[in-house]
Amino acid sequence: MPENYSDFFKEKCSQGELWLPYCPHCQKAFFYPRGHCPFCLEEGWQWMPASGRGKVYSYTIVRVSALDEFKEATPYVYALIDLEEGVRLASNVVNCPEELLQPDLPVKLTWVEREGRRLPVFTPVEGN
Amino acid sequence: MLLSGRASITGISELPPQKDGRGLRTLDLLAQAARLAIQDAGLRKSDIDGLLVAPPSEDTAFMWPAQVAEYLQIFPASLNMVELGGASAVGCVNRAALLVAAGICRYCLCLSGGVWGTGVFNDRAGKSAVMSGAELEYELPYGPMGFNSGYALAARRHMHEYGTTPEQLAKIAVDQRRSALFNPLALFNQSALTIEEVLASPVIVDPIHLLEIVRPCSGAAAVVVSRTEAAPDTPQPRVAILGMGEACTHNSIVYAPGLTATPIALSAQKAFAMADVKPGDIDLVSLYDCYTITVLLTLEDAGFCPRGEGGHFVESTDLSFRGALPCNTHGGQLSCGQASYAGGMSHVIEAVRQLRGQAGERQVEGHRLAFVNGNGGVLSTQSSLVLGGD
Repeated sequence: MPENYSDFFKEKCSQGELWLPYCPHCQKAFFYPRGHCPFCLEEGWQWMPASGRGKVYSYTIVRVSALDEFKEATPYVYALIDLEEGVRLASNVVNCPEELLQPDLPVKLTWVEREGRRLPVFTPVEGN
Repeated sequence: MLLSGRASITGISELPPQKDGRGLRTLDLLAQAARLAIQDAGLRKSDIDGLLVAPPSEDTAFMWPAQVAEYLQIFPASLNMVELGGASAVGCVNRAALLVAAGICRYCLCLSGGVWGTGVFNDRAGKSAVMSGAELEYELPYGPMGFNSGYALAARRHMHEYGTTPEQLAKIAVDQRRSALFNPLALFNQSALTIEEVLASPVIVDPIHLLEIVRPCSGAAAVVVSRTEAAPDTPQPRVAILGMGEACTHNSIVYAPGLTATPIALSAQKAFAMADVKPGDIDLVSLYDCYTITVLLTLEDAGFCPRGEGGHFVESTDLSFRGALPCNTHGGQLSCGQASYAGGMSHVIEAVRQLRGQAGERQVEGHRLAFVNGNGGVLSTQSSLVLGGD
């Protein structure tokens, strides 16, 4: 297994790149990064850069947040994103008018700075 | 089937839920619930030879079964803690049934309860306490609101795929409240609720309104599971455990196979198969109701209506104790409050009351078979039971 997988993921994010763990044995990407492929439990997985393209699987608009770093940003959109690579991850949808927001909306990767970290978030693909 | 009918629920107890947890201790609540359930079963404390406990709220979980056994001065042949989140209570009953059916124990005490401190869940520490390492690392930075946002994601997807409406979801809380008016133990039994009132309550995490979310509280509940052949002359009408099932497909909802088809389906199927009954045979249901969407998904996945038709089903079916499919006739957690892990036990206890014919003014007319489901996390761990009256 790649060493320090958690650090590698964050390091790539800090450079504005989203990388995914990929198991060549299963020929599948997976998320979240972990020492063993969750399908075959082998360690021999690799990193692959994500396309950054995906769809909103579902979303919720958080109107009351208990987290300080979101006080200014509330309401905000917490969402599940299905990436083209076949993995689902938690993220935010940003710069999206509420009337446009819906499940299955095509989105693309963008970045926000939050609490000193660069985080992968998603925004609607133009033309929608 | 090896297990079906070999274990029976012979004792129950439920303490009145309390809004204010100040001065309460979980162990004291558990002791009170234990005493009442053992009395109800017509047993002495020394008869108890099995102990299954749901996790504690404010105490350390380390050696929790032994902490409880020491306080109660019970010396069981088997003891364990069952941690399945909201499914823990039904999980305790399932495991107790296994122990008595296998001949390890004769009388198992299942205990659940906890004390609600206002900070739990709502602040960062409370949230973190119920999050895995992966959730802390890959979800918390995006601002999830714990269970609220998880169930909101499921509700939103269900609305998108099937056209389910906020009014349909709200009706679940409304019907349960109609039954709660006849439950003196319910926290919220003062007045009826309308769909308009539910939808006028604040949207906490869109599309979920405040009155579709459980109110945490303090309390405890206990069940005695006996080997059927060892309990020939119980003081109460016996309730047999005819079937059980469990299933789990994920911890965090992010990694669930889907949001509108849940592990409830497999858990319920197993329970029905063991009991050799169908959903259409069931007289009443007790379904874990942390949110209205949980009940709707359970009705679909357990087979009480086709997938995707839950919205229409709840809209056109009276779910109160007078209705075609009585559901959570105690009012559910939505009307009674959620006394920590005892919230899930309330569903077992109400089903037993109904099957015994002891539900008072809210007694369901036909009460031969009940289906009970416990649900943990966000549609994660599932424990199901089919119970039969005498």
